[in-house]
Amino acid sequence: MRLPTGALLPESVLRSDAFAILAAFVAINTLVYVLLAVAKMLPKIYFSDWVKRSNRRSQTRSIHPHRRES
Amino acid sequence: MGKFQRSVGLIIFGLAAGAAILLWTVVAAGGPTAGKAPTEGVMFGLWRVRYDTEAPSPRVITAAFAVAVLCAAGVAVLERRIANRARRSDDSGASPLAPKVVMAETFGVYAGPVTVTVLIPAHNEEASLPFTLASLIEQSHRPERIIVVADNCTDSTVSVARAAGVEVFESVGNKNKKAGALNQMIARFLPEQGENDLVMVMDADTTLDDGFLEGVVKRMTDDRALMAVGGLFYGEEGSGLLGQFQRNEYIRYARELRRRRGRVFVLTGTASVFRPRALATVAASRGNLLPGANGAVYDTAALTEDNELTLALKSLGALMISPQQCTVVTEVMPSWRALWVQRLRWQRGALENLGAYGVTRPTLRYWLQQLGIGYGVIALATYLLLILLMVLSLDAWVWFPFWIGLGLLFTLERVVTVWRGGWRARLLGLALFPELAFAMFLNVVYVKGIFDIAFGRQAGWHYEPHAADVAATAGEPA
Repeated sequence: MRLPTGALLPESVLRSDAFAILAAFVAINTLVYVLLAVAKMLPKIYFSDWVKRSNRRSQTRSIHPHRRES
Repeated sequence: MGKFQRSVGLIIFGLAAGAAILLWTVVAAGGPTAGKAPTEGVMFGLWRVRYDTEAPSPRVITAAFAVAVLCAAGVAVLERRIANRARRSDDSGASPLAPKVVMAETFGVYAGPVTVTVLIPAHNEEASLPFTLASLIEQSHRPERIIVVADNCTDSTVSVARAAGVEVFESVGNKNKKAGALNQMIARFLPEQGENDLVMVMDADTTLDDGFLEGVVKRMTDDRALMAVGGLFYGEEGSGLLGQFQRNEYIRYARELRRRRGRVFVLTGTASVFRPRALATVAASRGNLLPGANGAVYDTAALTEDNELTLALKSLGALMISPQQCTVVTEVMPSWRALWVQRLRWQRGALENLGAYGVTRPTLRYWLQQLGIGYGVIALATYLLLILLMVLSLDAWVWFPFWIGLGLLFTLERVVTVWRGGWRARLLGLALFPELAFAMFLNVVYVKGIFDIAFGRQAGWHYEPHAADVAATAGEPA
């Protein structure tokens, strides 16, 4: 079964060097965007949670000056 | 507007185009070979299909992976380093709102409990104002004061507000719209406020979800160095497919902010809360540390005053957050025309604000974001060009299993990221192509914005019909 589609341009366009470069350019971009999309789907990893923090609060930041930090 | 400000869009788009040309050159130098003719096969013994199993080489896949990781991690690390620097600053001259500076200045003093005064700038908002007021009065922590800032109203906004029992301030001779009206009000109001008497600025087309103010009061009580809390906004129901596009966009933005653990992009104009110290310091820093007229809280020259105020606060080292609990529902644009006006304004506003601030540490993240959008415009346009060329040149449909696989992954992302929005949101994500078209619409707005700024064209936001006027006062996503 041959579906009639465009055929407004000769199919040789697709065999040209310029098209090959365009296809490779789009391929890399698409891969990058898909990888970023996958990263957005997966649960986020917070590397800073693994590191022992040296910046723990040494005094209360509450508006009540004498409250102990909980 | 200076030369730099005028060319800011062209600079950003030029950089994005430069990156694209660089990649193009590298690809061309690698000498990609023209593809072979697709193979013909028979599926299930009946269906004759043409397919092309061509997939990028492992080298290309690795390179793409490296670029993706570098972009994502690079931006994240950069942003974290800059934020830490501001957080640890004790330079009261350059960063007067940095936590250490604020903590030292308020050490050992109890300025009374946290109170909330809500300011609602309103220009002919008689229809939506009652809902806004009701959402405030129904809060588990009711605001101590509600003041409607009526600006050049010709409808019954003022009487609606008075009937609801809230205070009304009417702007006098204001020609600077929302920012001007708020400046008039805040200039009178701010000097009377104590350290913990919070000021909330909220749009009249927005309603607060319950728990918003309770969350704000708790955070502001626990951390006296916290200068601002921004709302997370969701789109209201209605407006059909166009409304759903915007709701999906807002759901993704809110999801992104949750994953950032509330680290703010923009303190939305739809609903944000400030400590008086933050606003007073911004007003005092304009004309020296910040752009704008000295003494004004809002820069009346900015198209997106909420975005500008965020940049101002960040530049002064202020700590701010958008907690999950603080959600609001805001209007979606009911027509493409209104959406066009709204987005053109956001886009121009964001770029012009960057131009006004220049490339500084606190604004670097925003420059990179604009660069990312610029590159996205080129990437999507070349993608569509490729598809178009193929459709026009092939006389029979060819299947590309590798690329279809990637398309499915991308579709999955569209669905997963709007999961909270319910079945309609998911269905729209699943369809993929409508959202691609919507992205293309936003890209056209981006390009139009760049050219409008570059060639000094005035966008037509001055007293548009109501929907557009409302758009002018909405918040800014990403």
